[in-house]
Amino acid sequence: MRDPDVVVVGAGADGPAAAWKLAEDHGLDVLVLEGGPWHGNEQWPEPHADAGGTISTDPDDLDGKLLDEQFTHREADANDPTYGYLRVGPADHSRAPWFRNLHQNAFIWQVGAVGGTSLHYFANHPRGYPTAFNDQPHWPIDYEDLVPYYQLNEELTSTQQAPMTGKEEVFIEGATNAGYPLIETSNVTETGWRPQANAVEVPGRQTSTGDPLDADYDGSFSYDDGFRGDTLVGDHFQGSSTPVDAPVREKARKSSNVGYVPRALDTNEDPSKGNVALRPNAYVTDVETVEGSGRLEATGVTFRDSWSGRTQTVEADVVVLAGGCIETPRLWLNAGLPDDGWVGKGLTTHWFDWIVGVYDDETITEINPEGEHMDPYVGQNSAVRFDKPGVGGMEDIGMSPGLVSYADYLFSQAGYSFDTPVDPDEPWDTRGYVVGEELKRRMSDYRQTKALLVLTDDLPRQDNGVSLDTTFADEHGAVPKVRWEPHPDDDAKRDELSRIAARIHRAAGAEHVHRCDWPPLLLHMQSSMRMGEVLDASAEAKNVDRLFVADHSALANGVGGPNPTNSGQALALRTADRIADRYF
Amino acid sequence: MQDSNDGSLTRRRMMKGIGGLAVLSMSNATVAEARAATNNPLYSDPHTADTYRAIVDAIIPRTPALGDELGSEHVPGGLDVELEKFLIWDFNHFQEIRTELVTEKTDPSGLAMPVDLLETTLDTAGAGSPLDALLDLADLDLLDLLGLDLNADALEDHLTFGAAQRVDVSLVDAEADGAAEFEVTVETETEEYQRVLQNYPYAPAFTLVFDVVAAEFLAQGKNQEPAGPNEKFPAGGTFATLAPEDRLRCLWTIVDDGVVDRLDDLLSPLVPDVGILKYVVMAVNGLHGFGYYTEWSGLGETKTNTPTEREMQKPPGEVQSRTQSGYPGPAPGHAANWRHAVEGGFDDPDVDDLDLPEDLTGDDVIEGIGGER
Repeated sequence: MRDPDVVVVGAGADGPAAAWKLAEDHGLDVLVLEGGPWHGNEQWPEPHADAGGTISTDPDDLDGKLLDEQFTHREADANDPTYGYLRVGPADHSRAPWFRNLHQNAFIWQVGAVGGTSLHYFANHPRGYPTAFNDQPHWPIDYEDLVPYYQLNEELTSTQQAPMTGKEEVFIEGATNAGYPLIETSNVTETGWRPQANAVEVPGRQTSTGDPLDADYDGSFSYDDGFRGDTLVGDHFQGSSTPVDAPVREKARKSSNVGYVPRALDTNEDPSKGNVALRPNAYVTDVETVEGSGRLEATGVTFRDSWSGRTQTVEADVVVLAGGCIETPRLWLNAGLPDDGWVGKGLTTHWFDWIVGVYDDETITEINPEGEHMDPYVGQNSAVRFDKPGVGGMEDIGMSPGLVSYADYLFSQAGYSFDTPVDPDEPWDTRGYVVGEELKRRMSDYRQTKALLVLTDDLPRQDNGVSLDTTFADEHGAVPKVRWEPHPDDDAKRDELSRIAARIHRAAGAEHVHRCDWPPLLLHMQSSMRMGEVLDASAEAKNVDRLFVADHSALANGVGGPNPTNSGQALALRTADRIADRYF
Repeated sequence: MQDSNDGSLTRRRMMKGIGGLAVLSMSNATVAEARAATNNPLYSDPHTADTYRAIVDAIIPRTPALGDELGSEHVPGGLDVELEKFLIWDFNHFQEIRTELVTEKTDPSGLAMPVDLLETTLDTAGAGSPLDALLDLADLDLLDLLGLDLNADALEDHLTFGAAQRVDVSLVDAEADGAAEFEVTVETETEEYQRVLQNYPYAPAFTLVFDVVAAEFLAQGKNQEPAGPNEKFPAGGTFATLAPEDRLRCLWTIVDDGVVDRLDDLLSPLVPDVGILKYVVMAVNGLHGFGYYTEWSGLGETKTNTPTEREMQKPPGEVQSRTQSGYPGPAPGHAANWRHAVEGGFDDPDVDDLDLPEDLTGDDVIEGIGGER
């Protein structure tokens, strides 16, 4: 595409949503540049070994069976941060990942590829809490302004209530016994539990035998044999390309490469709409600007092809940054754009914790008379949640064992459990890293183990965020230096939620409860370029005309604790409308 | 990581030949076997290997007692699947350095990295002691240690880099463009190990750091069990002399005890950025989850190949750790009973009919929290 109206930097969760809306509803030509690889596209049959094609505009390039080959559903293959197919780094897997300097016991977990971090998300699509919009000083828009965009996003991503399987039944038992009510709305203002709103199609919408998908189903899960919808596999963190054989757009979980990218390419087939071109392996290194009438104005971007090393400049009427909470401010700062003190700052991350319950077989069988174990790899990864607006929430989680061993026992800020005393008044039995014989003993109980993820409503603080590192540079400029430390108020909220989580485990009959006391896990990142500070209420830069941000960094806070994908995408859809209103 | 494979007789290729001879003299292997060993991407010096082996054995040991209790499949540990190779591979593939960005810090943009940030030589053979070698490298003397509130005598007593007598890290070709290659040389009393690695060779660098931190750990008397030579890890240094739980306590002083601040001047020459060491301790622990408890060990001989050349040698549900967890491996779907918890799904009004309460602060929100403007 030689002359795009809009160039979008980044094809993660949000960039493709904005691109689709700009082309679909406003007839604009959009070029999306993505630094990472594109999986499941015929132009890149071996995306990690060979440069492949250059750009894709044809929805027929998408190939679901190719995606099945590339996403093996194996854990190390997918999730190892250095060599996995879901990492942040160049597509060429003989090269190291892109370095971010982190001076902490902490972990940044993102994916650089078409689909971005939504490639390994659990597809949890709750809305932000209304209180996070309306009752805190950080938001320039009302909750009600975003609701139509939530509704649109939920429709496009097949968002619906998640299915309850064995592990969820145990959670519901615990939450109910602990006295919490069921919430029956998406607009959550009170405390309780509810099924997750997940961007995953209903399980077994059609099966290969015509029989319902239940424990007696013995048919195929292949699309070619007639299976449609969710197949109840808990391997979403590995990319989850099920049903196998399905076209990309028919995969059950609507990560943005499934939910939005095919729709965006479809606009090319309708002459009444704009065009969308998507170029992977194109890392944007600079934002081009001119001095307008006393103000800076964005005119395009310069990018570097990660295979050839060649750079190229693209002009556009509007530039949209959608590289995520780390890469967007990094690009901004490396481009020398103005910084009034909040660029990259105010990063929120839902100050997670992780509370593990181990259950004995009898307890499980009492709750699920038909099941011997919870089998945390069966069902969606997270299908039920707890909400406490103003404090945060929590999620019931089941995953495969490599991820469980890391998250449950090998990620802590409390030190090793053999040296970490537990206050007898606290509702957990152990805390900290679990290693040695005890680790192997706990992992032998994997099929009776599940965790609750605590998501704290941590608030934006200027000390937390992204700056340019002064020690290291890579081919894209100074590397990002990332810092996130909890505020005591955020610790207090997290402690409160962790105690609730432990009590829910107890009330369901857990025989052992473990608090990991996670250090910062930067996964649900939000608000590092937030509206109200760096951006105005339309997500346009306050100091640079024609420059917008359409990723989670534009959120003004952490939306209260619920997973940010629905909010980030809804806001990106709204921003696309604002761009068209202002400039086209 | 790519060992260089060009056909010309470069300096690098000659170095590899020398490394091969070292292996030859050590193992009585044939020349062909020695060449194969030096081209093995996991060919690492014994100090590096034994240090990571000491960590693996502390976190996921063999557990004979669990065999009686839970079954024989629960006996083998991380060393049985060579998990140290996973750690070494990941750390050596952690950060690419672009050679064109390595010059003296004269670039006004501040992007250029000085060569001496990335090159180092620790030589204990010519110095009086390992501590003397470290002081030489850091351009410090014993009085400086006093000023840093460090007990020089105690550090002297405890610090050893085990079999590593000389460690040298240097850029292969500082004039080239693209991903830098580093030559890593480790000399022991009788052998010389040399490799050329793409990316910064963090794996051997971190083991030197762990020895220094372990010496400080012992100097401070923080060990809970006696330290001493460990016949399982004979080439390791001070770190490998610690008892298993003390190894982990020692690593934790990096995160929680400010030890990297106290030792900053001593550690600075060993790694390009001392600040990342807290992150490294996270990774040292966490990589056991990404390695041992995933399917990685089932990749067999391909498990440290370039990622695109790794292939499963056994079904992912049958690897050692998977038999210990009972996970059957990935599946295209699961036949399982499920239901919807809310009959008919969520029932929400259109936006015009939304009737949110006036007070949206939640039911008992903590008061007075507003973040920062």
